[in-house]
Amino acid sequence: MTPADLTLILPEILLSVYAMVMLLVAVYTTKDALASTLVWMTAGVMIALGAWIGITGEGTNIAFNGMLIEDGFARFAKVTILLSAAAVLVMSEGYMKQRDLLRFEYPLLVALSAVGMMVMVSAGDLMTLYMGLELQSLALYVVASLRRDSVKSTEAGLKYFVLGALSSGLLLYGASLVYGYAGTTLFSGIIETAQHGDVSLGLLFGLVFLIAGMAFKVSAVPFHMWTPDVYEGAPTPITAFFATAPKVAAMGLFARVLHDAFGNAVSDWSQIVALLSVLSMFLGAIAAIGQTNIKRLMAFSSIAHMGYALMGLAAGTVLGVQAMLIYMAIYVTMNVGTFAFILMMEKDGQPVTDIASLNMYSKQEPGKALAMLVLLFSLAGVPPMLGFFGKFYVLRAAYEAGLAWLAIAGVIASVIGAYYYLRIVFFMYFGDDSQEGLDKGGSTVLWGFLMASAAVMVLGIINMFGVEAAAAAAAATLVN
Amino acid sequence: MSLFLIVALPFLGALLPGLMNSAGRQACAGITFTVTLSAFIGLLTNAPAVFAGNVVTVGVDWMPLLGLNFNLMLDGLGFFFAMLILGIGLLIITYARFYLSREDNMGEFFTYLLLFQGAMVGIVLSDNILLLLIFWELTSLSSFLLIGYWKHLPEGRQGARMALTVTGMGGLSMIGGMLILGQIAGSYDLSVILENRELIQESPLYLPALILILLGCFTKSAQFPFHFWLPHAMAAPTPVSAYLHSATMVKAGIFLMARMWPVLSGTTEWFVIVTTAGLITMVLGAVIALFKHDLKALLAFSTVSHLGLITMLLGTGTAFGAMAAMFHILNHATFKAALFMSAGIVDHEAHTRDIRRLGGLRHLMPITFVIATLGALSMAGIPLLNGFLSKEMMLEEANRTVLFNTPWLVPVMATVGSLFSAAYCFRLISHTFLGPVRKDYPSAPHDPGAGLWMPPAILIVPVIAIGVAPFLAEPFVKMVTASVLGEAAEVPTAYFKIWHGLVPALFMSIIATVGGLILLGLFKPLLRGWDAAPRPEAKVIFEGLVEGIVAVAKRLVLPLHDGSFSRYSAFAAVTIIGVGYYAWMTGTVGTATRELQPAGPVPVAGWLMLVAAALGLVFLHRNRLLSLVLIGIAGLMVSVGFVFFSAPDLAMTQFTVEAVTIILLLLALNFLPNRTPVESTVLRRSRDTVIAVAGGLATFALSYHYLLRDSVAPAISAFHVENSYKGGGGTNMVNVILVDFRGFDTYGEIIVLGIAALVIYALTEALLGGPVRARLLNRLPDQPRAGDMHPMMMVVMTRVMMPIIMMVGFYIFLRGHNEPGGGFISGLVVSIGVVIQYMASGFGWTTARLRYPYHGIIGAGVLIAGLTGIGSWFVAKPFLTSDFTYVRIPPFNEFELATAALFDLGVFLAVVGAVMLALESLSRLARRQEAMESEYPMDIDPSREDNDVALQKEEA
Repeated sequence: MTPADLTLILPEILLSVYAMVMLLVAVYTTKDALASTLVWMTAGVMIALGAWIGITGEGTNIAFNGMLIEDGFARFAKVTILLSAAAVLVMSEGYMKQRDLLRFEYPLLVALSAVGMMVMVSAGDLMTLYMGLELQSLALYVVASLRRDSVKSTEAGLKYFVLGALSSGLLLYGASLVYGYAGTTLFSGIIETAQHGDVSLGLLFGLVFLIAGMAFKVSAVPFHMWTPDVYEGAPTPITAFFATAPKVAAMGLFARVLHDAFGNAVSDWSQIVALLSVLSMFLGAIAAIGQTNIKRLMAFSSIAHMGYALMGLAAGTVLGVQAMLIYMAIYVTMNVGTFAFILMMEKDGQPVTDIASLNMYSKQEPGKALAMLVLLFSLAGVPPMLGFFGKFYVLRAAYEAGLAWLAIAGVIASVIGAYYYLRIVFFMYFGDDSQEGLDKGGSTVLWGFLMASAAVMVLGIINMFGVEAAAAAAAATLVN
Repeated sequence: MSLFLIVALPFLGALLPGLMNSAGRQACAGITFTVTLSAFIGLLTNAPAVFAGNVVTVGVDWMPLLGLNFNLMLDGLGFFFAMLILGIGLLIITYARFYLSREDNMGEFFTYLLLFQGAMVGIVLSDNILLLLIFWELTSLSSFLLIGYWKHLPEGRQGARMALTVTGMGGLSMIGGMLILGQIAGSYDLSVILENRELIQESPLYLPALILILLGCFTKSAQFPFHFWLPHAMAAPTPVSAYLHSATMVKAGIFLMARMWPVLSGTTEWFVIVTTAGLITMVLGAVIALFKHDLKALLAFSTVSHLGLITMLLGTGTAFGAMAAMFHILNHATFKAALFMSAGIVDHEAHTRDIRRLGGLRHLMPITFVIATLGALSMAGIPLLNGFLSKEMMLEEANRTVLFNTPWLVPVMATVGSLFSAAYCFRLISHTFLGPVRKDYPSAPHDPGAGLWMPPAILIVPVIAIGVAPFLAEPFVKMVTASVLGEAAEVPTAYFKIWHGLVPALFMSIIATVGGLILLGLFKPLLRGWDAAPRPEAKVIFEGLVEGIVAVAKRLVLPLHDGSFSRYSAFAAVTIIGVGYYAWMTGTVGTATRELQPAGPVPVAGWLMLVAAALGLVFLHRNRLLSLVLIGIAGLMVSVGFVFFSAPDLAMTQFTVEAVTIILLLLALNFLPNRTPVESTVLRRSRDTVIAVAGGLATFALSYHYLLRDSVAPAISAFHVENSYKGGGGTNMVNVILVDFRGFDTYGEIIVLGIAALVIYALTEALLGGPVRARLLNRLPDQPRAGDMHPMMMVVMTRVMMPIIMMVGFYIFLRGHNEPGGGFISGLVVSIGVVIQYMASGFGWTTARLRYPYHGIIGAGVLIAGLTGIGSWFVAKPFLTSDFTYVRIPPFNEFELATAALFDLGVFLAVVGAVMLALESLSRLARRQEAMESEYPMDIDPSREDNDVALQKEEA
């Protein structure tokens, strides 16, 4: 434990110390009265840390004898995680305050789970991996059932917890098998044992269970069952959080394990990941068709999107990881905007999640409707929105890795999936205006996020704001 | 002018009308016209190069990593389409200026129109298929906005929904086709792809690519079976219909087929798919068009039919077919746009488009009549108009085409299509313009101002010019054809002329025209037949299909995600077993390296008990108390198993933990009914059985496999064996690991344990302080309680046992370092000793005799352990470095003193405190109101009864 090691994880240390100190401060002072301030402060701290990591980080650094890796990949994921978590925090403030849900623990739990996510994407060892994963998950379990007086919310939280614990158990089982058959928990050691074509049964089982555990965290089919319930049951800002940062972290971890520890045995996991991917894409696309609740719809949409991100991973190449990173960055941005919109969906001051309530929304709020149209087109992957580029990247990566069938399946799934995104557009533009529409106006903060996100979807096509090159560099550090 | 500028002008210009909305209609239309005109002139400046056979290209890298380059190229084909788009655009803008009413937001309309125009120009000038895709979908998007501009009509909404669904999905599937094409060719640049005909056609992925791309083309160009959306999109205002749904957007699919012609055509797959779809569309569209009463619907279906004709020509894969297709595109664009605008004029002036309510307009609107009649006659294929020429070429080509080995099929179908085509053209003329003047028009029709009739009139000029002098168009069409064919084929030498001699095509044409006239004569009976005949409406089918898919999706998915937890876990379990099986089948299974051990009668008996207990539990689990007993047996057998495998420490720990757990579960029984409710059906239980058995077998197989093989890395136990005594001074390795090797871990663990107990305390405290308290206190037990709360036998027994248990605990603690035992186990043993006092003598009695609070005990334990660790700092060693020495105090033997024992004491105290605090806290929940704590430690006490009697006497 040298000072150099500690310097490398200074952002994590600072964020956790901040969270713990503020927890105590809030407990001993004004409690929930401090919550709004804490939300903004936490978001500020996370943005500052994100900027710091993004700007100052350089090269590949290893800390704690390889248990922690701080490289371009980790930095890319961390910046995405921190910024999206901060965005969701800021978005949630008004909504939760209005509904008396804003507890001072909320921003701090988000901060702690962000610490867990940062550790996850930096993990260079099965133990670090598990530590980060559990820190993140425990915070998420609590956050999922934050609305304690709602049966739906608590039920969802409990389900999530039990299934999450099950998946953690699986993951641990896998980790111990890997340890038993590799003789080490360090990724750098495992990769030497797990050579292509010579993977022992124990190691393979370990890998399979690790993948199953991680698939749960990214909510890939068939480990996705908790997603719709949690998305629907949790308060909308928390759903927004679930849909963004944790997904990036889990995908980052997925990529980290598969490439850093099993990078020499791509053929052994590529098929499994491809299977998860194709199942997720199709189930997400088909299941969302019949949904009337926009939060449930977004749950299936996120499942489908994870399928596409997994397609990048299944490729097992540098391009694949790069595609996955770009996809996740775009996905997060789209979701921030979409959830900003969902948070604004109110009727007589009450939150509404029924899609039918959007009928003829374009008449009431042409600006917001247009922004949402852009976001929905982008989610569907329709060119020229940014979502198309993300999708095309993963399709191409899969194709070039010899998974043409997967790429074609992905295209077909996206054709099916387009239906439900476009359906919302129809409601907004050509719906039936006999009913009373949603409330007008809404928070300026949310409006800003919606517009910014939509603007990114359009303007991003110029050069993706440099994310393309950053992701390429990040992917190159992971796959070698 | 640079190609960049030609594409960019409409996009940049799109901002202007929107901004200038307040400047008035004139200004909006004027600026839009100017922008389009500049682009048009810019295009014309490139004409010399294109006519010279050159390809003008410009390019700049956009996202090279993705293969997306902003490369534009202008060849004959692109020039042709760009000219159509911009030229007809100019006329449409003029027309729209006069067509739109004052209430319409003209700035918005022209903004969308220019966006659309830019996207269309982008498609035809793209030299990169990804760029083309982007422009392709931009046309969908901007057309959606253009149609959405007129949202007040309900059928308009329907039309827009269908149009966007169909074309949007088609466009998305095209992404896949483009991906495959680009990957096969190694570049996404069209110019590269077009040179790789052999490579692409030989690829195994040619067919999927072809199908995906054709899906995009067919949906966009409304080819069968996607032909139904176009007529429904016609609810849009006439300028939009004329521009999008006749002249430009629907031709995008045709354009792409022509663009890809050199690489995709010529194969059987292409021929069969494209020709068939085109042929069916042509005939179907023509037949339906005849029976439409709405002028625009009639024109819409006729457009569908003509698009089918062009598609069929492209499908034949011959150079002549391609040339005929190009020629017909030109002709169709001119006469159809003119017809649409004429229909718009009729609608605008007469306020109806229903043919049944029209007629006799010849006298009222002579100019419109002339324009529409010329256009319609051209469409019908009457000589001296351009429609005749391309139709002759089509019939000639059809005559040569053999589909499905049936030589007569294509010619007959083509003739039938032409026949119906002629019929609806004649009907359009005679039922709208001929006949007597009516008195019941919704509005008095008259010819409009020049602004409305001039644009269609201009379009009629080439209709006649080419019709009379075909050679005028010949060089241009051949130039375009040359660029379509690329290097794949030579441009045909056939001349364009009106009279080809008595060729079969002429006879087919005559049959078509005469037949068309006959059909018109028989129209009324035919219409009755048509109305009476059951016919599948494509739109209804489509909507039914969508509804069906939604219903199926709902039925498939909703039951799957019904919130049932057991279903969720079943899914996860089945998948894991499945994937595990996959791993088993694909992994390298080494040979067994270890022998099976002999099984004696005692282990077998133990194993049988374990199995019996587990099986019994499955069948008897409804009885909670019984299942608790069975769980106890299973736990005990597992502990015995540890003994059998020479792990006494583990066995002792397991055994004590088992005891504490059973006590905790007994506590829980307090709150639960005697039996568990029956919630599952037999079917469900059988399903669960299958999953459970599969999971159990899988786990068994896995363990069996592992136990027979050595682990990969050398076991860490060797190190401990070597260093346990030497470095830690103890012969009980487990204990040395706990207090020495991994002392720091243990230290952390006891802190966690203490915190956990404190949290349980805090939670129960909070619960009991809240509204739950009343419910807990007032709950009714579901079965009668035992009469004696503190049975004498049990009380006496536990009190006698207490010192013995303490002694055992102390003994286990002391021997821990060298023999099985240690602080953890002895902590649990002592806890059990105390817990049974609670159980036997009651809460009050026990609490009163407790001298130290449990929090304090936990704290003391952690503190002692911590201080022990810190102690090593004083001898300049790291935290928790242990030391030991041997002392001899007569008359005892030499014995060992180790700092580790002090640390173990800390562990002991923390365990006792934590277990007791947790159990005490939880048991407080079980206390009820009516069962007030008896003050007495025993229910029956002879001496106390006297007191009671004495008291009663006193009261008496």
